[in-house]
Amino acid sequence: MPDSGDSPDGLEAVFPANRDKLLRFLVARGAGEDAEDILQEVWLRISRVEAGPIAAPLAYLYRAANAAMIDRYRSAKQAEQRDAAWVEGHSGVAIGVSDSPSAERVVAGRQLAARVEEALAPLPPRAVAIFRRSRIDGIAQRVIAQEFGVSISTVESDLRQVYRVLIELRERLDEV
Amino acid sequence: MAVDQQILDEAAMWAVRTSEPDFDDWASFTEWLEASAAHAEAYDRAMIAVEEGAEALSSLPANDPDWSDEDSDEGGHRSPRRWFAPALAACLALVAALWLWPAGDADTTYRTAAGETRTIELGDGSAVVLAGGTELVVDGEREARLNSGRAVFEIRHDDADPFRLAVGDATLVDAGTVFEVTIREAAVAVGVAEGAVIYEPDGPAARIDPGQVLSFDPAKGSYRMESVPVDQVGEWREGRLTFRNAPLADVADDLSRATGITYRVADAGEARSISGSVAIDPLRRDPGALGPLLGIDVQQDGDVWILGGR
Repeated sequence: MPDSGDSPDGLEAVFPANRDKLLRFLVARGAGEDAEDILQEVWLRISRVEAGPIAAPLAYLYRAANAAMIDRYRSAKQAEQRDAAWVEGHSGVAIGVSDSPSAERVVAGRQLAARVEEALAPLPPRAVAIFRRSRIDGIAQRVIAQEFGVSISTVESDLRQVYRVLIELRERLDEV
Repeated sequence: MAVDQQILDEAAMWAVRTSEPDFDDWASFTEWLEASAAHAEAYDRAMIAVEEGAEALSSLPANDPDWSDEDSDEGGHRSPRRWFAPALAACLALVAALWLWPAGDADTTYRTAAGETRTIELGDGSAVVLAGGTELVVDGEREARLNSGRAVFEIRHDDADPFRLAVGDATLVDAGTVFEVTIREAAVAVGVAEGAVIYEPDGPAARIDPGQVLSFDPAKGSYRMESVPVDQVGEWREGRLTFRNAPLADVADDLSRATGITYRVADAGEARSISGSVAIDPLRRDPGALGPLLGIDVQQDGDVWILGGR
């Protein structure tokens, strides 16, 4: 259990007090009637983890709920892709037996890398460098701003620019 | 299909904001989501697009541009380096992960529940993917300890500062590497997909090359080497598990870890060994589907699925 049971600001107290808000968030996030179940699962997962006191428990809960929704979307999407791949290429293979799909994935990964590189080429190098620091090295925007000698809002707008290009690339790839 | 450009812009903005570890304006984010039924999906698509884009980009070399001298709109002339390495705070910016707050000192502990996977990016471009039911302690960028479970390490090699992983009393050192470590009851297995890993550099110093699996007994210090198809190392990351003459207990263990569903071996099934390959996701929906795939008997007992009863 999180080490916060006795504190009125701890997770134990914050979770029930903000249950409705979190549910509203999950519904808005597209959870529909699964919102209750998802929230329950998120809470169980958090309760199993032994963590130190958490600085901002409500934000932590929101973040956990948001991460659960992203996981859910990702799994649904991967399942869809697998089913599609199955129909296309694996009709003669016994169900459940791997016909070495990893090699195909490796090739697909390289192709995606080439498309990403191409899509990002027209952007200012600083924006791409900032994106790498943020998303590959995992550095906070505040720290990146110091490193690059720019304001946080510049970091944010650089990131938005790169995100936008990647989102568009994904839309294009999905339309094919 | 026409995509609403304004929604994409807004989704990009919220994706940037919510990806920050200290983002706290969840109420405004909720309001934006509620404003249109299309917003939630646009946001999900944005988050995945960026995640995949970053992953693809991380496989490409940085061109190390000299942007610091151009259009520095706020007059800064510092010359940041890529490997500037603000160490552990770095590990926390992961989006899709339920991470733990650091306890204040240099070590950070990451844990996953059964059925979950999580990617931890070390500040130097290396990454670790944790399977379910796993605990990893990271100390800086080049040292870690795997306490339980299973993980794939994708390590950026540096001869001068090799990555060291402690497992029990044993030490593994990378030599340019993608490798997987699985801790089981009886033994620890180390499989290599790329590069090489040195087992106990100060002892037997056994070298594990791609396509090899070294299993060692942490209690006795004995080990043995086997071969494995390279693409099966860390295969669970792609949603699949393959077994080759695996003891049924290992099958139950790996499946429980991957699905979050409890599989256990029946007394009568203990001596069996299993070969076969299964996709993980369908088992989450139907845990009993395992039986025909691996040719074993599967019985449900409450929340537990018993393998090999007959």
